[in-house]
Amino acid sequence: MSEKLRESLSAMIDGEANELELERILARIGQDSELRQTWIRYSAVRSLNAGEAVANLSMDVSEAVRSAIGEDSNSHNETGFSAGTKRFLKPFASFAVAASVAATVVIGGQQLSQIGESVPYSSSLAGTSPVGLINSVGATAVQASYGTQPVPVLQPTARTAYHKLARHRMQKYMQEHVEQAALNSPQGLIPFSRIQQIQE
Amino acid sequence: MTAMKSKFPCRRIFRLAGCLAAGMVYAAQAAATSCPPADTEALQWLEKMSRSAQEVSYHGVVTFQRGDDMQVMQISHSVSGGTASERLTQLTGQGAQVTRTDHPLECLHPGHRLLRLGATDAATGSSLSGSCGIAENYRFSVDEGERVAGRKAVRILIAPRDMYRYGYVMELDRQTGLLLKAQTIGRGNKVLERFQFANLSYDEEVSQAPDVEVLHNATHSLPEEHTGAGHYSEQWTVRWLPNGFTATDSPAGAGKRRTYTDGLAVFSVFLEVLPQDIKPGEGVARRGGTTSYTRGMRLAGRPTLVTVIGEVPVNTARMVADSIKWSQEP
Repeated sequence: MSEKLRESLSAMIDGEANELELERILARIGQDSELRQTWIRYSAVRSLNAGEAVANLSMDVSEAVRSAIGEDSNSHNETGFSAGTKRFLKPFASFAVAASVAATVVIGGQQLSQIGESVPYSSSLAGTSPVGLINSVGATAVQASYGTQPVPVLQPTARTAYHKLARHRMQKYMQEHVEQAALNSPQGLIPFSRIQQIQE
Repeated sequence: MTAMKSKFPCRRIFRLAGCLAAGMVYAAQAAATSCPPADTEALQWLEKMSRSAQEVSYHGVVTFQRGDDMQVMQISHSVSGGTASERLTQLTGQGAQVTRTDHPLECLHPGHRLLRLGATDAATGSSLSGSCGIAENYRFSVDEGERVAGRKAVRILIAPRDMYRYGYVMELDRQTGLLLKAQTIGRGNKVLERFQFANLSYDEEVSQAPDVEVLHNATHSLPEEHTGAGHYSEQWTVRWLPNGFTATDSPAGAGKRRTYTDGLAVFSVFLEVLPQDIKPGEGVARRGGTTSYTRGMRLAGRPTLVTVIGEVPVNTARMVADSIKWSQEP
């Protein structure tokens, strides 16, 4: 397993992977048993570090992933699209899987035993917090694409360009966004501190 | 963007069009009659928080952290004669100052309106307005808070009911309800950003003014404010929003921007028609709790760049960008 893949996996389990990293893992998880084993091992380490019980780690997260991928390709088969259309659909379908995997991973890492119980709000460690993104009553389906626009797989240069563009637009539009946020969220003017360079 | 602009429209227009606009929002949601069971105490605290944010005079020093980056700023908020004046002065970094003067107390923006809805509903046990406010999309619990800026606090844990928004831990002043500390929580219980008061007093400010490099008067765009229709206005629509998000101002006044809030999170959508073709694709940049998602695509045959910026997960931004459509061919 390549170092890059290992890093992507680690990032994913920490909830920090970007879409590209998720895609990278998803492309491999079906065939790569070493990757699946590492996944389970990393999840175990993370749970231990977070002070969670290990009992749930016998659960094979990747099984859930493979079934998610299975469902995904099945749903395409059922639609009876031509091969060309399937290729066309694939990019955003894979993101849908990516999102569901992310959900699975977080749920897996956070202990399935908590589901259905009230979330235990113990004192938090530095850098972590007792409230999660995750719905404590169970994994909910997340729609990952509205489905109107296919997202093409980009060449590395285009990816870099788009990342730069996103950063640039963040700077360009942040103040206009913040003006609204300051009026409509409970922190008053504090959202202004998110702006890198406040303009007059 | 002068102070003048922010002084007058609210008073003149709010009572007339403002309440009309609010009525329309509620009518649209009137189908929802029963609200999910919610922690009444938490909702009452959040309502108190929303009120104190506008109605109480205070000043203090606030820290704002994102990852390794920490900023320190001075905040002051003073109320007199039915209006509030606010000032934020950066003590680190750029040294900018942001002011908003003469903001009428009765001028209630949609975000705060949503925060105050839930409490009313919880008190009667049913929905009066037809909307459950933030309780529809978040789950709450109340806990003993720590001491923040020397004040005893109550801690409100706010967990999202779906994955389209973040969670929060808020600490409120036990006496006044003022928000003393807030953490935004992302996937894997990660703290994305945190702000908190380092010191706070409720008396009149006597401190010396720090050196200011840049002075900005915060704008005051309104749900009711109709500016002249730009060539973008009302030609594009956002067809998908996560449950509970409401526009912060009228589309006609928004031009190439639309902003939405669910009472706690806010995001904005920006649309640009490009002069030349762009290779379709997407890019993401993040800073603390803020996501910037940019998508290049062809909309109605024209190269278009859609950017979603806000304190929401990237998947939410992507869904919203995906749903943009020209509502009338320009």
